[in-house]
Amino acid sequence: MLTRTRCKWLAAFTVAAIFSMAAGVVTGQAVEFSDTTLENGLRVVIAEDHVAPVLSIAVNYDVGSRNERRGRTGFAHLFEHMMFEGSENVGDGEHMLLIFNNGGDLNGTTDKDRTVYYERMPSNQLDLGLFLEADRMASLDITLENLNNQRQAVQEERRLRVDNQPYGHTFETIDELAYENFAYAHSTIGSMTDLNAATVTDVASFFRTYYAPNNAVLAIVGDVDTESALKKVQQYFGQIPRQPDPPAVDLTEPRQTGERRTSYDDPLARLARIDIAYHIPESLTADHDAMSVLSTVLTSGRSSRLYQAIVRDTQLGVDLSSSAGNNRGPSLLWLGVIAAPGADLVALEAAIYEQIERIKTAPIEAWELDKARNGARRSFVSSLGSSLQRAIILSRYALFYDDPNLINSRAESIASVSAEDLRRVARTYLTETNRSVVLTLPALAGGQSGEDPGQGGF
Amino acid sequence: MRLCLYYVVGFTCALSAGVYAQAGVQQAQSITGAELKGLAPVSDEILKVELPKAEEADLDNGLHLMVLEDRRVPIVSVQVILIGAGGYYDPPDHAGLAGFTASLLREGTATRSSVEIAEALETLASRVNVSTDMSLQAATMRLSSLVEYLDQTIALAADVLLRPSFPEEELALFKTREQAGLIEQRTRPRFLAVERLAKVIYGDHPAGRTSPTPETLDRTTRDDLIAFHREHYVPDHAVIAIAGDISMADAFPAVERHFGAWASSGTRPPTVDDPEPIGPSRLYLINREASVQTNLVVGTQAINRTSDDYDILSVMNQIVGGGPSSRLFLNLREDKGYTYGAYSSFTAQRYRGDWDASTEVRTEVTGDALAELLRELVRIHDEPVPEQEFQDAKRSIVASFALSLESPNALLNNFVVRHLYDLPDDYWDRYPERIMSVTREQVQEVAAKYLDAGRLHIVAVGDGEQISGMLTSFGAVDVYDDQGTLIETVGGDQ
Repeated sequence: MLTRTRCKWLAAFTVAAIFSMAAGVVTGQAVEFSDTTLENGLRVVIAEDHVAPVLSIAVNYDVGSRNERRGRTGFAHLFEHMMFEGSENVGDGEHMLLIFNNGGDLNGTTDKDRTVYYERMPSNQLDLGLFLEADRMASLDITLENLNNQRQAVQEERRLRVDNQPYGHTFETIDELAYENFAYAHSTIGSMTDLNAATVTDVASFFRTYYAPNNAVLAIVGDVDTESALKKVQQYFGQIPRQPDPPAVDLTEPRQTGERRTSYDDPLARLARIDIAYHIPESLTADHDAMSVLSTVLTSGRSSRLYQAIVRDTQLGVDLSSSAGNNRGPSLLWLGVIAAPGADLVALEAAIYEQIERIKTAPIEAWELDKARNGARRSFVSSLGSSLQRAIILSRYALFYDDPNLINSRAESIASVSAEDLRRVARTYLTETNRSVVLTLPALAGGQSGEDPGQGGF
Repeated sequence: MRLCLYYVVGFTCALSAGVYAQAGVQQAQSITGAELKGLAPVSDEILKVELPKAEEADLDNGLHLMVLEDRRVPIVSVQVILIGAGGYYDPPDHAGLAGFTASLLREGTATRSSVEIAEALETLASRVNVSTDMSLQAATMRLSSLVEYLDQTIALAADVLLRPSFPEEELALFKTREQAGLIEQRTRPRFLAVERLAKVIYGDHPAGRTSPTPETLDRTTRDDLIAFHREHYVPDHAVIAIAGDISMADAFPAVERHFGAWASSGTRPPTVDDPEPIGPSRLYLINREASVQTNLVVGTQAINRTSDDYDILSVMNQIVGGGPSSRLFLNLREDKGYTYGAYSSFTAQRYRGDWDASTEVRTEVTGDALAELLRELVRIHDEPVPEQEFQDAKRSIVASFALSLESPNALLNNFVVRHLYDLPDDYWDRYPERIMSVTREQVQEVAAKYLDAGRLHIVAVGDGEQISGMLTSFGAVDVYDDQGTLIETVGGDQ
């Protein structure tokens, strides 16, 4: 495990950064990094990589849609858009122009648990990237005009991804049905009504509460010198005042005691689909790791059990996928299948459960575990090829788990999952009383009803 | 759920190096959609970057091998580019056959079943797939693997590519899945827009088709697949491009072992034709019921990959809609709030390709957004680009080259383009200076040449009842249903 400098800034130069040298047994490679915390609480993780003249900066804030209150769904993400609208020394939209015009790229992304901002740039632009990130952390410029403009952009984003797409509402429906706790039950994109209700006062208060140096991790990965980069970080971020810690969010999810079920008539879809979600523990627990492997066995690729059973053998479905959601708090194993035209949805759902029951009782083949192990290793080594991916992963592990070195051990944790672990988690979590089922049924536009809800097709 | 601020699409260029000092100091001059304070510390230097070179070699059967060694990550990516096996060469009466053939290669070989192939590859976390598109000359096999499983993966890939058995029962299963896919794609507004635009830009040219029909899929037989594979999967004009944790010294014998016995066919390189010149401007509405947005696409014919206008069009496109710092995004999103994104891009191959601009806007602003989009296309040839904006656009293209050095696959693709289009050996070395030497006058000339308002075709996918009135103020509108059937023509002189 990594020992981390929790020293005050001035001491940091003499103490120097501590490097993690852990060499993974599975991977044979390791990401080395320094880990320092400034006096104002900003945690700074730096990993040097001089292969290409490129650097990436990620600033990961400990705020997501789980921090929203009722009546303000979608606000964390709307706020993310406001971070590109200017600050004391940076004009509205100037951040974006400066990065792209100097050969870089950037983005911001919000989920239930966090909001991350990043830039990838030619390595001579470190000052530019740090200046821009620090200026908006220190002094966001909040105007009603900008808020109204970005409210419109976000509402179009919602239409583009949700309201104007087949199955767009399905994912929102799953979370709403499966979670009782508001923190995870509502969507990150939010409702149109709540987006309309957001005010500049909300923006100012959210900024003060959550966009503080002590509520963020800054990661820099790439063609930089650690010591001089740390000096620059201190120069740009050192004066930003610490704020009181934000209020903690209660993520406790009551134990589900009976199956939940709903159906949604989708005027934009032409094929029915079934989505099933089971409550599972939070990421980085042994049971969650086992669930990740189980998800691979069930739906990853054409060799997977559900593909073989449902797409090939019974031909009740045409496409499917699943994932063990990686929330910081209570997560879901989600599984979705698009029905074949005219397929019997009752038979399709039964065929899915039959495969889940087989996990609980019949043997898991050695190759199925190898597939998950090799997949985890490949995913780890792939992340080494991108400075940006490493910056995002390091900042995430530091922010969520106080341990950026997890980047070096995750593939080993997945590799240690056994066949018995799969049976155990399947028996524990993949039960009728722990599941929520959403049927999405194609409905003709113009108010006409679709067909018999027991059937797919048209 | 991850929500992005926007996605970066459009044209990205990798190029080689040189130092170009930015002219003058930053100007704190605001433009539509952005306010510039000019206080941030910017390095004026554009990094001089050394391009790693791909090594090249030829096999006796005509295969051309290109290897870009990059030891950073223990993964190897291989592309087998089969010129002549793409959808462009579908038999005239059998649209989609090239795509069906490519898709079914993995479904069985002389010695392995579909399930055995999937299990073997997925156990190794290796990927092998073959795909094409109806506008492409080539079918491409893409393979990638952890380096320790590379030999096993190439052996499987070669078996799939050279000895497919196209089992009857797999063809039947494929048809079932694919028929559902043909239904599903018609629910996506982007597909409906692209389908119509391709038809109106390319007419009867092969690139005018975007999808097979249920009928051509249904009547495809095993013999059709075998015949297409026998005739079109030949090594003579194929390229194998490899990037990653391997040297030419190791790659050459591996490729020779698995692909060396692949017999040359002695055929001439397959040819292509340019599409007929595009007809006069027109509007098309695809009525997609229950839509809450309108997908707008404006397109026209542009250039071949070897055109002298390629670099100039690249700069022009960067200014108009190449990214979030371009005019369409700044105007339609940041200034007007009509959309989440607005971009433009172009394709350039052996035949004359297309340039198009697209955005998705809420139904009620469809007419206003289209007017604003078209205004930007007039402005780019009516007004000189302001000097700072012009320099910024060129700088963004040249400086972004450094980023491509993180991606061996992106770098290798540049060399593949150079090879496929017979470009000069120093093409990428000289790319930055060519971009930097483009003038504002050239951009205006090229804009006038290709973005001629009389040759722009406009496709709108959305709620017909609400938007047809907004569209008819621009001219006559051909109205289609979501199955691609012409329903009526409304407005204008028709």
